[in-house]
Amino acid sequence: MLWLALYFPQLPLEVFARGRQQAGALAVVETDAGRERVSRCNSAARAYGISPGLALPTALALHAGLSVQRRDRTRERRALQALALWAYQFSARIGFEPSSLLLEVGASRRLFGGMAALLAIMQREIVQLGYTVQHALAPTATAAGLLARRCPGCRIENPDDLRAAVAPLPVAALTRDPDARTLIRHIGLESIDDALSLPRPELARRCGPKLSALFDRLLGMAPDPRPEWQPPRYFDQNIELLGEISHTTALVFPARRLMVALCGFLRGLGGGAQRLRWRLIHRDHPPTRFDQGLLDASRDPDHMLEMFRERIERLQLPEPVIVMGLRVDDWQAFEERSLAIFESTQSNDQSLLERLANRLGEHRVRGLRCLADHRPERAWRFCRPDEPDDSLPFVTQRSIQPPWLLPQPRPLRAPHGLPQYGGDLNLEHPPERIETGWWDGFDISRDYFIAHSPAGERLWVFHDRRGGGWYLHGRFL
Amino acid sequence: MQVVNLEQLKREGVLWQGRHSRQAGDRVLASGWAALDELLGGGWPRAALSELLSDAHQGLPLLLPLLARLSERERWLVWVAPPYVPYAPALRASGILIEKLLLVQDVVTSQRLWAAEQALKSGACGAVLVWPEQVKTAQLRRLQLAAEQGDCPAMLFRSLRAANQGSPAALRLRLRPSPLGIEVEVLKRRGAWRGARCIVPVYGCEVRGSGAEMFIGCPSLDP
Repeated sequence: MLWLALYFPQLPLEVFARGRQQAGALAVVETDAGRERVSRCNSAARAYGISPGLALPTALALHAGLSVQRRDRTRERRALQALALWAYQFSARIGFEPSSLLLEVGASRRLFGGMAALLAIMQREIVQLGYTVQHALAPTATAAGLLARRCPGCRIENPDDLRAAVAPLPVAALTRDPDARTLIRHIGLESIDDALSLPRPELARRCGPKLSALFDRLLGMAPDPRPEWQPPRYFDQNIELLGEISHTTALVFPARRLMVALCGFLRGLGGGAQRLRWRLIHRDHPPTRFDQGLLDASRDPDHMLEMFRERIERLQLPEPVIVMGLRVDDWQAFEERSLAIFESTQSNDQSLLERLANRLGEHRVRGLRCLADHRPERAWRFCRPDEPDDSLPFVTQRSIQPPWLLPQPRPLRAPHGLPQYGGDLNLEHPPERIETGWWDGFDISRDYFIAHSPAGERLWVFHDRRGGGWYLHGRFL
Repeated sequence: MQVVNLEQLKREGVLWQGRHSRQAGDRVLASGWAALDELLGGGWPRAALSELLSDAHQGLPLLLPLLARLSERERWLVWVAPPYVPYAPALRASGILIEKLLLVQDVVTSQRLWAAEQALKSGACGAVLVWPEQVKTAQLRRLQLAAEQGDCPAMLFRSLRAANQGSPAALRLRLRPSPLGIEVEVLKRRGAWRGARCIVPVYGCEVRGSGAEMFIGCPSLDP
């Protein structure tokens, strides 16, 4: 077994900061012995001389404009869950430690073309997600977690090398249990090497069963069971925008972070998303919600982002946005499309449809289909443009038909019993009689004429044999 | 000895006479109307902008044979903001595969031009028809460029009022209804004089196979 530990040292800070491309000076504070101290701060804050450990009043004295967030462990845990959801594409066995993820990668490294390639992919995506990471590889989960914190970049693949790698580390780094830590201090053990140099019965006697079991797990001499983690079947994540965003273009940056997380989740499940449900949380106003539809299931963040940009151009924000959320509950099995040349037209097609529907709205981009009906109003319908055409051939007797139909028949004046349109219309005889539809409540009885207007237009007009009026219904030219 | 049919070469736009010069360097798409092809030096400019000016959105029937032929390819025929409902049974009767139609409707002027430009550039369209209402010269230039870029004909239906404005379009035609069909007058054509005219015997959607005149003596209709 080979465990990869991912330790996120700036997690307390990044849960607040990752929504913004350029954040101002930011510090996360924790209460330590009754005093508020800076726990993490970003580079903008460091530029003012602020550093971790500083008391909050001192930090504010250095820079009054410092934005301060109280450390939020619930939010950190949620962020770690979200990271696990993303990481599930690389490993089906995932364990948690404070600010760290543990992934069993012995099986998957071959899948990704070797350890170096796997680490490069992960590193790149973690940056895109908005986190910094330290990693380490070791044959046991406990050792990997420890090394990621204390000795980042360390790769121990051979179990025989493990002891030497962990030996110089302080024993205190092994556990957070206060009792165990006090004990370690009292018996005067400094490094792990000190402890491991003791004869085993002596170690167990001095440290108690809890600590000695920890050593066994560290070195792989005892099993290190981790609860099996199962990812949820839907994606629902938020991103904090730290301050307020009032321009829709500033939403693109956090949106991409959410999309990278989503696409990782989708790869883990072998799926693609077709509908992205966005929500923008405002301070007072109810959330703004909108859906982003994709014609084809996708898990390509760049493609999603392009569509997103166009979608938000026509978005009106009632109020600035403080939190952005993305939810995807339904996803489809996904097949990687090959980029073969003969498929390129197809994908052009799809992206044109998507681009138009996205910016203009799906109801404005349509196709047409024929229906088998003699009534002109019922002889066609709108449809989705990519819907297959399953209509049957339908023969009519007309040799000339109007290419244009009016959406509604338009009443014509007929002062002398004959219709007018910019003057008297000249009707071609004989008319075509359409009399049908008694079965569905829309029965008509009409005589359709080709009519010539004084301006030379050719019009399709009908005389309603029931109501008696004249109507314009189509145009020929 | 090889016999060359000069008339056919002229229709295809391969050969032209100085007097009736065709678009220099531009390829053309046969319109399906012998009289119109003669007037246009072979057909509609391909990969370019054409304007059809009339007083009541006229001129669609002139394009139907071309659309029917283009619909056989795996490409969209995009109609941006048509003024009425395209009557599907009639279009199908004239030979157009209507599942290739892509209608963009109920959109404001600026979005019409945006949509047309996207469609032209996409490389996924056989032809783009636009009824823009109002359009500025700079926007026309964008459409012309997009048509070149996507190798796609753009057909713009405009009001007769635009006849006196300048335009970067490759072809501009003034259309008037006539008892014999539609009278077509060239307002602008690359490499040719304005003022030439002809009458295209078009009455609406001709049902294909009904022996309509347009199929007679028009070899350039074959793909």
